[in-house]
Amino acid sequence: MNDIAPTRFKWVGTRPIRPDGVPKVTGRAMYGADFTTAGTLYGKVIRSPHAHARIRSIDASKALALPGVKAVVTSADFPDQKFEYVGPERVAQNFWHITRNIMAREKALYEGHPVAAIAAVSKSVAEDAAALLEIDYEVLPHVIDVDEAMKPDAPLLFEDMITRGIEPAPAKPSNISKRLEFQIGDLEQGFAEADVVVEKEFKTAAVHQAYIEPHACAARVDADGLAEIWTATQGHFGVRALTARLLGMGVGQVRVTPSEIGGGFGGKIPVYLEPIAAALSKKTGRAVKIVMSHDEVFKATGPTSGASMWVKIGAKKDGTITAADAVFKFQAGAFPGSPVMNGCLCALSPYNIPNARTVGYDVVSNRPKASAYRAPGSPISAFGVESTLDVLAKKLGMDPLQLRLKNAVRPGTTMIYGPKMSHGGYVETLEALINHPAYKVPLGPNQGRGVASGYWFNGGGESSATVQVNEDGTIIVSSGSVDIGGSRASMALMAAETLGVDYSQVRSVVADTSAVGFTNPTGGSRVTFATGMAVVEASKKIVDELRGRAAMIWDVDVDGVVWENGQARPASSNVGDFPPLSLKEIAAKKALTGGPLTAAASVNAGGQAPGFSTQFCDVEVDPETGKVTILRYVAAQDVGKAIHPSYVEGQIQGGVAQGIGWALNEEYIYDKNGRLDNPGFLDYRVPVAPDIPMIDAVLVEVPNPAHPYGAKGVGEVNIVPPMAAIANAIDSAIHRRLTELPMSPPKIRAALDHTGADD
Amino acid sequence: MFTAGFSRRYTGGVREFTVEARNLRGVIKAMDELYPGLGHHLEEETTVAIDGALHETGYFQPIRPGSEVFFIPKLEGG
Repeated sequence: MNDIAPTRFKWVGTRPIRPDGVPKVTGRAMYGADFTTAGTLYGKVIRSPHAHARIRSIDASKALALPGVKAVVTSADFPDQKFEYVGPERVAQNFWHITRNIMAREKALYEGHPVAAIAAVSKSVAEDAAALLEIDYEVLPHVIDVDEAMKPDAPLLFEDMITRGIEPAPAKPSNISKRLEFQIGDLEQGFAEADVVVEKEFKTAAVHQAYIEPHACAARVDADGLAEIWTATQGHFGVRALTARLLGMGVGQVRVTPSEIGGGFGGKIPVYLEPIAAALSKKTGRAVKIVMSHDEVFKATGPTSGASMWVKIGAKKDGTITAADAVFKFQAGAFPGSPVMNGCLCALSPYNIPNARTVGYDVVSNRPKASAYRAPGSPISAFGVESTLDVLAKKLGMDPLQLRLKNAVRPGTTMIYGPKMSHGGYVETLEALINHPAYKVPLGPNQGRGVASGYWFNGGGESSATVQVNEDGTIIVSSGSVDIGGSRASMALMAAETLGVDYSQVRSVVADTSAVGFTNPTGGSRVTFATGMAVVEASKKIVDELRGRAAMIWDVDVDGVVWENGQARPASSNVGDFPPLSLKEIAAKKALTGGPLTAAASVNAGGQAPGFSTQFCDVEVDPETGKVTILRYVAAQDVGKAIHPSYVEGQIQGGVAQGIGWALNEEYIYDKNGRLDNPGFLDYRVPVAPDIPMIDAVLVEVPNPAHPYGAKGVGEVNIVPPMAAIANAIDSAIHRRLTELPMSPPKIRAALDHTGADD
Repeated sequence: MFTAGFSRRYTGGVREFTVEARNLRGVIKAMDELYPGLGHHLEEETTVAIDGALHETGYFQPIRPGSEVFFIPKLEGG
């Protein structure tokens, strides 16, 4: 389906040393908390101790009287916003909600919800002032679990919320923000054709993105109304837009410089601190820095949704799936907007199922507003579907990879969201594992093997890049994409390949909002694809410019100059007998030939191909303690063309590691008052090195012809299969089907104590 | 074509149309003439699949004769 041969490339597909490595390992990299200017004030956010409470009053007089306190802001310092959903359904923004999440107004809706903020000369003064702030709360009943929140008598977060997506609209308000449904074919007929039907219910816990670097920013609003913001974010153009809107400023008044970022995984796309720091700066006339503690990160940012699901799948005796039906109920947190639509669209997408339906519910409850987390929504719904498929395979006596292969989506398959699949890649991941030597290794007592697959759309969209040739022939590539997963290296490799220069001659940087064109956030596995297209386009413009400069030097027509291996050469002997001109030689004559060599490109990249991942793992269950040990993990992923294979392998290993944590240990634990019992990495158990074996990342390369080097997004789909793969392996080991995440030792022990029939 | 939810909201359940257009601007314009106001929603709320290949909805996307154009809800990643 493509003509991209890997051996064509000199730099794409190689593994040079990462450009951000030295500053990071020597501690010199500048993260969000590292920006400080003279006279910077310390900002502290005062947060609700209650899961649900009406704010009767806030008296800041005593706090403001404390020496060293410079300002206090509350919701009164932010203009209220109109109640309306703006933009696409899944990503619709309702600024009435957003401003209330930044700073609570009428009610605090979760423990950790900001209610005020203080700027002071030091952290200790700010903390002393916080104790002097008098906030009068009326504590209200709360609800956290999604099934509880959907009950008719549940405490309401919004007394006027009428469920969208139901016709006629319900007469009574509820916590259900939205219902949505996708369907193809005839479900009744499909299930009637089935010889075996499996039906299961599942629950998943809310989990945090668990980036190591806490949210941090500094903001300065000057007397002329212009603002500078330095922040750890996945999308500085989004920070610019949201901060401007929430403070009533123009987009052009705000300049945002992104720092290095210590992990984001979707959780650093929203804004939390920047508008608050800017509001405090407006009041004080000084720069204000705010750094969250890990306690604040867990209580007030992220997580992804916890969920409750029902899945039903029917198949013929030969394994042909005839129908699938599923209901997904996702926690949105305190404001509408869970990734349930993504869950509905992705859950069944690895398969050719002619009769299928997915129904989703977006449900608010008293926990932080859910934010994106790596393939948002897809891992949750895949846990239900891929677990159910495993039950089906065992009932049919089929190998789980063969069952998937028999029903695999292929180019031309009609998807549940409507169009026909146009890309391959899934079948190749299945075949990679079927042929993997470890898949046939025999297992011992209490050991089991589990398989699961995953689907993710991958993104395209708007990106910008600038390529400059310096006077000595070295290159600077500037892009608008924050580098989370190695994009600086990828951009440099693609620029080097296109220009025909040595990778070491290219320096790749992330530019601030005033130095490069608009670029969508680093998310949705879009950067190497979309921003890479902008870099390649800008590099091609430079090549055209260099040909023109060489033509000028030789005094020939530009059509007589070709660019090969980083040099201008005469297109033929008819042009003249000129020795090749290197990029360095042309750059040295830039003034004589027209001035600086600079090219910019902006794209709205389309034609992105989806990502498929299939994984298997071997586990051993300790029947005495319930501890699950991962013995082996193999993850095959269609990556299109790996631009920098080490980074791609790292993405796969990282996604699987996070999935192992989601599967076995991670969860938000609340007390009876709706307060989080386990904020921070001591009690919120992310996997550590001894928990994870060396993950075998298998790169399956089915290039995307829409990208100049065949790239597909690689950052997210790897987190989709692990939870089901591990559940399926546990079932193979102990013949107990775990349907609730995390599958922690107490749950394994309870399952072992349960003597009823499995599945 | 539209996904089911979208058609319920704007076209009374009709999901498939045949229009003549050289690019996506033409498709959106034709849809807006059939259902005034629909064009704005297509621009703001959808990703488009042209013969199965996903694109951000943009006027400039060329449409070949016989192409299948499918408007689906816009997506978000992490």
